[in-house]
Order: sequence, then structure tokens, then C-alpha cells
Amino acid sequence: MTRARRLGPLVFWLAAATATGAPTYVGSATCRRCHPDVVMSFSRNPHYKAQVEHPDARDQGGCESCHGPASEHVAAGGGKSNLAAFSVMPSRQVLDACLRCHSNSLGRASVRGSSHSLAQIACNQCHSVHKSPVQKFLLAREQRDLCYGCHQTVKAQFSMPFKHRVNEGFMSCADCHNPHGAAAPVWRMGARPRMTGVALQNEEPCLKCHTDKRGPFAFEHSGVRVDGCETCHSPHGSAHPRLLRRPAVFTLCLECHSGAGNFGRQGDGINMTSVTHSMTDPKFQNCTACHTRIHGSNADERFLR
Amino acid sequence: MRRAVVWLALACPLWAQPAVAPSDELVGRRSGEQWAGYRIIQSWELGYRLSSTGGNEGKYRSDVNYGNGIRLLSGRFAMTSNDGHGRWFDELLLNTQGLGNDPYEAANFRIQKNKWYRYDGLWRRNDYFNPALPIAGGQHLEDTVRRLQDHDFTLFPQSSVKFFTGFSRNTQTGPGLSTVALAGSTGAVTPLMLDIRRSQNEFRYGNEFRVASIRINWMGAREWFREELPARSSQPAGTQVSRSQVYEGTTPSWRLNFFREQGEKWAINGRGTYSRGLRNYDTQETATGVPAASPSRAIQTVVGGVARRPVLTANVTLSLFPTSRLTVTNQTAYHDVRMYGDSLYSQLENSTLLQSLIYFQTLGIRTLANAATVDFVVRRGLSLRGGYQYSERRIQSVERNTENVEGGFTDLKTGDQTNRLHSGMAGLRLQPVKGVTILLDGEIGRQDHPFTPISDKNYHGLSARAQWRGRSFTLGAVAQANYNFNSISLSHHSSRTRRYAVDASWSPRSSVSIEASYARLHLDTATGLAYFVSLRPVIGQSLFFSNVHSAYAGVRLSMIKRADLYFGYTGTFDTGDGGTAPGSDAFQQVQTYPMSYQSPLARVSVLITNKLRWNAGYQYYGYHEDLYSYQNYRAHTGYTSLLFTF
Repeated sequence: MTRARRLGPLVFWLAAATATGAPTYVGSATCRRCHPDVVMSFSRNPHYKAQVEHPDARDQGGCESCHGPASEHVAAGGGKSNLAAFSVMPSRQVLDACLRCHSNSLGRASVRGSSHSLAQIACNQCHSVHKSPVQKFLLAREQRDLCYGCHQTVKAQFSMPFKHRVNEGFMSCADCHNPHGAAAPVWRMGARPRMTGVALQNEEPCLKCHTDKRGPFAFEHSGVRVDGCETCHSPHGSAHPRLLRRPAVFTLCLECHSGAGNFGRQGDGINMTSVTHSMTDPKFQNCTACHTRIHGSNADERFLR
Repeated sequence: MRRAVVWLALACPLWAQPAVAPSDELVGRRSGEQWAGYRIIQSWELGYRLSSTGGNEGKYRSDVNYGNGIRLLSGRFAMTSNDGHGRWFDELLLNTQGLGNDPYEAANFRIQKNKWYRYDGLWRRNDYFNPALPIAGGQHLEDTVRRLQDHDFTLFPQSSVKFFTGFSRNTQTGPGLSTVALAGSTGAVTPLMLDIRRSQNEFRYGNEFRVASIRINWMGAREWFREELPARSSQPAGTQVSRSQVYEGTTPSWRLNFFREQGEKWAINGRGTYSRGLRNYDTQETATGVPAASPSRAIQTVVGGVARRPVLTANVTLSLFPTSRLTVTNQTAYHDVRMYGDSLYSQLENSTLLQSLIYFQTLGIRTLANAATVDFVVRRGLSLRGGYQYSERRIQSVERNTENVEGGFTDLKTGDQTNRLHSGMAGLRLQPVKGVTILLDGEIGRQDHPFTPISDKNYHGLSARAQWRGRSFTLGAVAQANYNFNSISLSHHSSRTRRYAVDASWSPRSSVSIEASYARLHLDTATGLAYFVSLRPVIGQSLFFSNVHSAYAGVRLSMIKRADLYFGYTGTFDTGDGGTAPGSDAFQQVQTYPMSYQSPLARVSVLITNKLRWNAGYQYYGYHEDLYSYQNYRAHTGYTSLLFTF
């Protein structure tokens, strides 16, 4: 236990003592008289580890290690103003309280500057410390439902025919996102998307599962490498197969392969289709029927094989 | 006191409509059962799933894919030490879903002993049809099975010095499209279905320790990847193809992280990674036959070589909290990736001469970005924020094609460009009264040299979100708009995305919950095009419209304390916009994509005893599209199950 973690509850207690006089610790057994459900289920709570480590220290293991000394709360017969009640605390204060112990995780290294924290989304808006129906991470609800609660447009995207299987329980939002904040993506230019987790090599999270798209390839599709998977795909859901942004693939390809402007690797326009490719012929509308290795190939610079 | 508490989530808002099974309702004692110093809580749902499909079954298997059969629909097991001093472990958790051939099977497992160790395992299996051709009318024939597993072990997880190791495996089997060079009058190559076997294994190890208040975390990893396409095929008719294609290699990588704990006044964290991807490949192929309108041919093709990709990335984030109201964050990121390789391509054709080609190319991308944001809490209930980001990216490429007889290269093409992006953002958060939250955000960006015609160039985004939370209800609304205009001479691209959503949930009492939501996703793009029709160049424009309306409603009722009913409906409709591309035959059909996808469901759950529930449910899936109507399908799925505890 670090000095900071040892002193944390003490500082908290001193602050409370200054505000309310001299409250004292009463112990979890006293809490149990009025809150039996909470105390009864506490041994199944991950926070129980702290109580195991410090069975005799009321300020470091039991209810009061988070809620502060509760003598005034007991004397008043309850109330939220006479102890640290997280439901009425400002989000910054909640964050400070939780990070006294939970700052030692790499996944939460960016939590203070995360979009959620800056939007005043505190820990207890997603986590239910006492009555979590979810076995892991003390989530207040299933993870997808928590995220959908604010991100309604994303919920609509996952209702599309083609989607990543989040509603089916096969995946979760945290497979690709870090709700505690992530470093800005370095695989593309802009600051967006935010709060996107990365694969081990600081890559797009898509490549955690779709490893065959990672390469390296002798012939890389530069559009994929430079601007990322979202150039062609809608990652949450799409009405079109393979999560593509267009119903027919040639419309997607031709939007870049027009030969116009100073786009592309050489800055002289991305090459057009062959003159023999008549776009009214359905055969040539299915570009990836022949250009099958569109993410990268080792045998053909046109991604044929 | 052993009070039987039935686990019910009645008062919880219903935010998403999942598949009809497994059931949400749970049984058993919240307090669990006692055994040898452990508290055990478990529930298992065993049932039979059934389905009946009409229309395009291949499309159904791409979208839904539930079948018939007995399933262990769900399983939950938790074993926790009463005193936190179990002999071998203090906590053991197991969750399963869909075991027994559901298309979405998963199991996660955790075992840990306080202060000593923690192990997390996750196994998943997904079975679905992968559309063979990425157009809406593509054949849905690729029965793809993907299996993923992740194992992570941490030694001394609560200590200031911890060690960790992990292993991940990811495999994919099923047919996929490839091509064969049996040239004929119909084209240079012929599509060919091949069975693809892919496997990726990754082993990782690392350590974390603390110096002062800074935690340092390093990790090393090595990935093995292998892809095989062994094939003997008689496709297309009249031809014989034999191919052995192997693509394999390793990617060692190292990652170093550091971050400051707590950081109530300031915080810093950073990360650096280096990886060195290497792949070897070898293809040997023999193709014989009589392509359409061509003489008999025999072609032998050999391809071999190596591809490399070193990647170096780093970022550092510094956050300052000078007062409880002010947060200042600055982040610098660096990303450098180089891709290069060589490929020896040899082809022998019986009617022509030996041809030997060497292709070689390099692509390098280096990005440097810096972002600063300031967040200020004006007063309780009002905060403002703003930020600025600058990114600079350099792209270098070399393409060398066709080795000539002297051993040099012809067709040498090199490129070197630098792109810069300036973007700014601003926002506010307002809480005018208790329970009401309003968020407004905006971002604007300018890039001087976008890489593709559809990349962000002159873009801006606006977002507004409001939410009102009461004790028994929640109301929310979101409006988002993103605009991008990427225009140069002779070409332009303009895209507009607007999204609106409203949702409401209400739980007037513990036995009733109601939720409904509606979202509209609008997209329209206009892009300059150039292509050929019958050897004739066409300069045109693609106008694509999408208007997706998505609605959801759900009602949960609890009756006579024993029966729970749930009715839900999800509908997604793309009404298109009726737009067509003027003078562009090739594009007229695909500028809008009207479709509908609906799924109502009903479920009943009856509490028989405190340890046993009976469940039954029905869910309908209806898919309809105007463009390729042969893809339409309807499916009736259902299940019945028993949910019990021991």
C-alpha cells in the first residue's frame, strides 16, 4: 500500500471532520443494521479485497473507507449530507475518490482527460458498487445497455442487418473502445475517433480480430493504410454486406479511383479503372470478385491473387 | 438471515433489444449457497431453439443465423470466499452463452486469489455466412467459422510489482474468393472459391513496477500468423486448377507505458511501441483448361518473396489540474510505419514465352500530431471546453515494376507529399436543473492535402445532446451533423451526415417498464466520377442517398409475481431519397438502397419455484429490399428453456 493510498482516507476523513465537527468511525457492523443487503453482499464485491487486507482498520477496508466516518450519519438516523454519499457528489469528487485506489491501472491512465470525464460522467454513472447485476467490473447494467443509454445513434447502427454482434452478446463495446479514455489515434490525421482502444501495436482496434488484414503485404492498398478501415467500412453497422458504406462495391471504389486531382501516393490522382472495364457490365461492377486481396496482396500489385 | 431474493431486473430501463434468448430473468438466491467456506451463486438455462426460414436462407445466415437444436443458452457461476482467504482461490467466475452450436458462443472465466494471482480467459466462436461478393446481390455462400480465445495471467495483481503473461489465438475457416490466371477472352483472371485456413497466435509477457508515483509497464509480444489456401478445383468448367499458397510470418513487438498514479494536480502518461512485422509467402499454381473462346492453355505460376513492416509509435499526454475547475491537457503523438517487400512472380505459359517479373514497392507514412484541450467549470452545472489539434503527415512511396533484361527497373514512380491538418473544437455542458443535462460540441478542421477524394478536407461536426433523468424515467435526445467538402479542380466530394435520436424509458412501478426510441440517420454524398463504358470515357457524378429510420419499443410486465412478459420491436427502414445520377447508366440503380429489417419478439418467463423458471419466446426477422428482391427473407425463431439453480 502506497503512502498516498494510506493517507487518502485520512485526508478524506479530515475534510469531513472539518466540515461536520468530529465524526468518528463506527465500523461496518453498525452499517449492517440499516443496510443489511449491502453488507451481506459485500463479500461478493471486489471491494471486499480491501477489507480482507485490513480487517481491523475501519478506514481502509469497510464501508467507511469510501464513505468516510459515519458517526453523524448514524446519529442522525441516515441522510446524505453527513457522510460521503456518491450519489450527490460532484463528478470530479467521485473521480478523485475512486482513483485513490483505482489509479494503478494502465487502462485508466487517461481517465481524467477523457471525453467522459470532461463531460462530467463520473464512475458511479456506469458502475454500481453495491448492487451490480453484472459479475465483472461492477457495471450498473450490461455494458451495451450502458453505452446505448447515451449513444442512441450507435444503438440504431447496431440494429442494421449487417453489424458487429454486440446485441447478440458476442462482442462488447469495450472490445474496441476504452470508456476510461484512450490516447488519440495515431493511425490517421484527425483527433477522431475518440476513446478508441488500440491493438498491441498501436493499430486500429479492427486488427485485433481481423488479423489477416494487418499484413504486412508486399503490395499494400495505400488507402487502407493511410486513412484506415473507415474509409470503406461502417464499423458499427450497415445495411450493406461487409459493413460497406455503399450497396454496390464499384460505387465505393470509383469514388477514389477517378484519376482526378492530386490525390494518391504520387499526387497525380488515384488511377482510373482499365479502359476495358465497362461499368455497365455487372461483371465489372463486382470489383472485388477479381481484386480479391483488396486489403493487400503478396502476389499482385492489383490485388488479384 | 437467508432471505430468498429473486433476481429480477424489472425496474431497469430496457435499452437494447437483444436476441430472444437467453432470457434476462434470473432465479436463485441473491445470497447464494454456502459450501466449504465459499458462497456459490449459479444459474443455468437449458433449452431448445428452433427456426423456420423462408426466402433467401443464405442472406438469413449472413444476418441472423440461429438454427435448431438443444442449447445451453446461458450459464452463470460465481464462487467467492467468505473470508477472502480461500485455500487456492478467492473468486471463481464463469459465464457462458449459446453453447451447443448457437452461432454466437462465448465463455469467460476468471479465477483469482487476492494479492497472489488473477487469470482471465475468454473464448468465443462465431459462425456466419460471409457474403461471397461485397455487393447487396452477392451470393451468401461462405460459411465462415471464427474462433477467438484470450488468456491473461497476472502475478501479484495488487502489488506495486506485478508480472503478466498472456496468449491469444484467432482462427478462421471457410471458403473465400481468390483468382486464377487462366486468361481467356472473358478477362485476365477468373474468380475461384478456395478454402481458407487462417490462424494467428500471440504470446505476450511483461512486467509493471513503480518508481516514485510513476508506474512503468512494459510488454513484449510475438505473433505468428499463417494462412493457407490449398486447392484443387474444377472451376470454372473445363479447367483444372491446383494451387498451394502459404503466407506466414511473425511480428515481434515491444511496448513501454508509463503513467502517474492518482494525479490530482497533474498527470502524465505515455506509450511507445515498436513492432517488426515479417511475412514470407509462396504460391505454386498449375492451371490447365479451355477458357471460353480461347485455345487450350496450361499455365504454371510461381510467386515468392517477403514483406516487412516496421512500426514505431509514441505518445505522451500531460494533464494539469491547477484548480478543481480547470483541466488542461496536451497530447503529442508520433507514428512511423514503413512497408516494403519484394515479390518474385514467374509465369510459364505453354503457348507463349517465359515471363519473369519483379515487383517492388515502398510505402512510408509518418504522422506527428499535437492536441491541446482546456476544460473549465464555470460553476456547478456549467462547464466550457475548447481545443486545437495540429497533425502533419508525410507519405513517401516508390513503385518499381518490370525488371528489364539488364537487371534494372523500369516504370520507376516515386512520390513524396506532406499533409497538414488544423482542427479546433469547442463545447459546453449545462445542467440547468437537477437531472437535466445538455451537451453541445463542435469541431472544425482544414486539411491541405487529403490523400483520397473522400478524405476529410474542409469538415465540421456539430453535436447536441440532452438528457433528463428522473427517479422512474429517462428522456434523451441527440442531434449530430458532420459535413465534409473535399473539392479540387475537376473533382469534388461532398458528404453530409445528420443523425437524430430520441428515446424514453419509464418504470412507473417495479412490475412495469416501458422504453421506446427512434433514430434517423441521414447521409447524402456527391462525388465526381470517371470511368469507362464500352471503351468510352464517362465523366459523371455519384449521388448517394440514405435515410435510415430506426425504431425500437419494449414493454416488460410482471404479473402475479410469477410471470414476466416482454414484448419488443425493432425496425430499421432505409427509405432512400429517390435520387438518381443524371446521365449515368451504371449508377442509376444503386444511388439509393430502400430496405427494411424488422424484428418483433415476445417472451414469457414463469417462476415455478425459487430455483426454477420456465421460459419461452418467439422472434420474427423480416428482411426486404427493393434493389435485389431475391435477397428477401423472413424467419420465425423461438425457444423454450428451463432456467435453474442447483
